[in-house]
Amino acid sequence: MSLLALFIGFGLVTSAVLAIASVGFTLQYAVTNVLNLAYGEVMTVGALTAYVINKRGGSIWIGLVAGALSAAIVSLLLNRFIFGPFARRGLKLFGMVIVTIAVSLIMSNGLLIIAGASTFSYNFDAGPTFTGLGMILTTEQVVVIVIAIVAMIAVRLLLTRTKLGRAMRATSTDESLARACGIPIRRVTDAAWLISGALCGIAGVVLGMSVTGWGVFTGQGLLITIVAAAVVGGIGQPYGAMLGALLLGIVTSLVAGYFDPAYRDISAFVILVLFLLFRPKGILADVVAQREVVA
Amino acid sequence: MRKMRRSRWAVASIVAVVALVACGNNPTTTSPTALNGPLTFGSDSSFTGPNASFGLEQVAGCYTAVSLINQSGGLFGQQAQCQIIDNRNDPADGVAAATKAVATIQNFGGTLGPGGVATATEPVYESANITMMADTGDSAFNRTTDKYFWRVTPPDSAGGYAMAVWALKQKFMSAAAVFSNDTTAQTSVPTLVSGYKKGGGNMVINLQVVPDQSSYQVEAARVLAAHPQVIFTEADPQTDATFFKALKQLNNGQMIPIIGTAPTITADWAKAVGDAVSVGDLDKYYVGLQPYVTASGKAWQVFNTALLADSTQIPNPSQWSSDAYSMTDYDGINIMALAMLDAHSWKPTDYNSHVINVTAPGSGKTDVFSFAEGKTALAAGKTIRYNGAGGAVNFDQWHNYGGDFSANGYDAAGNQTTAGVVTAADVKKLST
Repeated sequence: MSLLALFIGFGLVTSAVLAIASVGFTLQYAVTNVLNLAYGEVMTVGALTAYVINKRGGSIWIGLVAGALSAAIVSLLLNRFIFGPFARRGLKLFGMVIVTIAVSLIMSNGLLIIAGASTFSYNFDAGPTFTGLGMILTTEQVVVIVIAIVAMIAVRLLLTRTKLGRAMRATSTDESLARACGIPIRRVTDAAWLISGALCGIAGVVLGMSVTGWGVFTGQGLLITIVAAAVVGGIGQPYGAMLGALLLGIVTSLVAGYFDPAYRDISAFVILVLFLLFRPKGILADVVAQREVVA
Repeated sequence: MRKMRRSRWAVASIVAVVALVACGNNPTTTSPTALNGPLTFGSDSSFTGPNASFGLEQVAGCYTAVSLINQSGGLFGQQAQCQIIDNRNDPADGVAAATKAVATIQNFGGTLGPGGVATATEPVYESANITMMADTGDSAFNRTTDKYFWRVTPPDSAGGYAMAVWALKQKFMSAAAVFSNDTTAQTSVPTLVSGYKKGGGNMVINLQVVPDQSSYQVEAARVLAAHPQVIFTEADPQTDATFFKALKQLNNGQMIPIIGTAPTITADWAKAVGDAVSVGDLDKYYVGLQPYVTASGKAWQVFNTALLADSTQIPNPSQWSSDAYSMTDYDGINIMALAMLDAHSWKPTDYNSHVINVTAPGSGKTDVFSFAEGKTALAAGKTIRYNGAGGAVNFDQWHNYGGDFSANGYDAAGNQTTAGVVTAADVKKLST
C-alpha cells in the first residue's frame, strides 16, 4: 500500500468538496463584494435539507437538489434582508465582515436549537470500493469528485458562454461601468447569491456524503479552509479557487499523513498566511494581470 | 471626618460580607450534626457535550444511593439529595462550576468526582475541605497527599497496564494506539506503551487523533500501514466510529481487534461504532477494560433494585445496572454517609478521616452490604467494613485503590459480556 498515493487520493476528495464551496464563495465575493463568513452555516442548511429528505425515504440525489435549492434561497434571503440593507447604508468591507460573523453565530446557534447536537449521516448505498493508481476510494468519494468536476465545468460554461455570466464578470470588474452599460445590477447580484448559495448547498451535501457523520458545526469548521482556498486562488477568481482547493486539499492531507493529523488545519492557516504575505493576489495573479493588459 | 466615617462603614460592611461568605462556605461554623435542610452530595462530572454520558452514569449512582439513604431515615434527621455540578469536560468551566458549588450549596456533605478535569477542579474542593469520592483516572493523583481526595476506581495508569496485559494474554504482539489528543484520553497511554513494551509487545504506531473531524482516512491508512494485530483506543463515540469505519473500508472490509479503555464501554460508544462497522464486528472484535465489578451479589442486588425503581430521576435506569462507574459512585455516596454516621457529623472536616474506618478490612469488623445495614451496625456500636455494589474498597496511603479489571464485550443482543479478568496482581507485574 503506497501511502503517498493513498494520501493524494484522500486529498482529492477533500479538494473536490473544497472546490465546490470555494468557487461559490469567491464567485459571490467577486460580484457582491461581501466576504460572507456565514457561508459555513449555509452549507449546513443545504446538508440538513438533504438529510430531512433522505431520512423520509427520499433519494440522496433528490436531497442534493433540494439542498442546493434551500441554500440558494437562504443565501438570497440573507442578501435581501440583511447584507443588502447594510450595503445600501454604505457599510464597508470590514463592517460587513462583522455583520456576517454575527449572522454566522445566530445561524449556527439557531441550527443547533432546531437540529440538536446530534451527528447525522445519509442513508445511501455505499457501493464498492475502487482501487487504482495506489488510491482506495469508496463509491461515494468517486461520486463527490465527479460532482465537483461537473460543477466546475458548469461554472466555467456559465461565466464564459452565457449572458448572465458575462454580466457577472462585468459587474465584478467595475460595477459602475456595468450599470452604465445597462446591466441590471440588482438582478445580477441576486443571481450571484443564488448560484453561490446553490454551490454552497451542494458542497454541504457532498461533504455529508463523503464523511461518516457530521453535525451543525461541520460547515463552520471547514470555513477557514474554504476561505484559504479562495485566497490562495486569488479572492474573486473562480478558476483560482479551483486550483487553491486542489492545492489545499492535497497539502493538508499529506501534512496529516506524514506529520501529524493535528497539523491538518494548521497547514491550511500556514498556506493562507504565506500567500497573503508573498502572493496576496493569489495563484493566478500573473494570468489575471496579463489578461487585464491585453484587454 | 465624613470621609473617615464613610470608610469605617465601608470596612465594617466588607467585614460583614466576608463573615457572611465565610459562614456560607465553611460548614464548621455551625454545630457538628445540626442540619438546617437537606444534606447535599455533589455529582461533579461532564453532563454536556460528547462525554455527557460520564455525568449520567455518575449521577445514576448518586440518585440510587440517596434514595436508599432516605428510605433508611436520611442522615441526622434530614433527607439527602444530589446536586449536579457540570464541568462540561472543560477545565475552565469545571473550575467555575466547582467554585460556584462550594460557594452556594447549603449543607454540602461531599461530592462524587471530580471526573475528567480533576487536575483543575480538585484543588477547589480540597481547599474548601470538601470530601471527594473521585472517579477520575488522572495519574496526577496516583500519589496525592490531598486529604479530602479519595479515588474509588483504579487510575487510568492501571487501566493502561490492564489493556497491555489483556493484549499480551491474547498473543497480540504488535499494536497501534489510537487515542484522542485530550488529556483525559491520553492519561492511559504512557503506562499502556511502557507496560506493553515491558511485556514483549511492539507498539508499531502511537497516534493522537483530533476529535470530531469529518474524516479519519489518513489516520486509518497510517495505522494499517503499520500492520498492527490489535488497536488500543479511547476517543469519543463519533470520533472512534468515523475512524473505525475508515479503517474497515481501507482494509477491504476486514476489522482489526480493538481493546478500548473504560470510557469506551458506554451505550453511546457501542451504538456509534456498531453502526459504523456493523454490530457483528463490534461483538467479534471489541473488548474494553474497566474496573472489575460483578453484576451479582448481595450489595449489587440492593443497588440494582433501587436503581431500577427510580426511572423518574434516572432515564432508562437498566443501562447502568452493570456499569462499573455507576456502582462505584453509588458506593462513594454510601462510604461518605457511613463515615458521617461513624463520626457523628456530616461535616467533611469531621468525617473525612472516618472514611478509612468504614472501608478498611480489620478483625472484628462487621461486613455490611448496604447503607441500611451499616447504619444499623454502627448504631449498635459495631465497627464496620462496607462491601459495595462494586466490591470492597481498600484505600492505600494515597487514598487510591487498585482493583482488578474485566475485559468486557458485547453479545449479539447487545448485552455486555465478560471475556476475562485482569487481576491487580497482573497489573502490578507490569507496573513494577
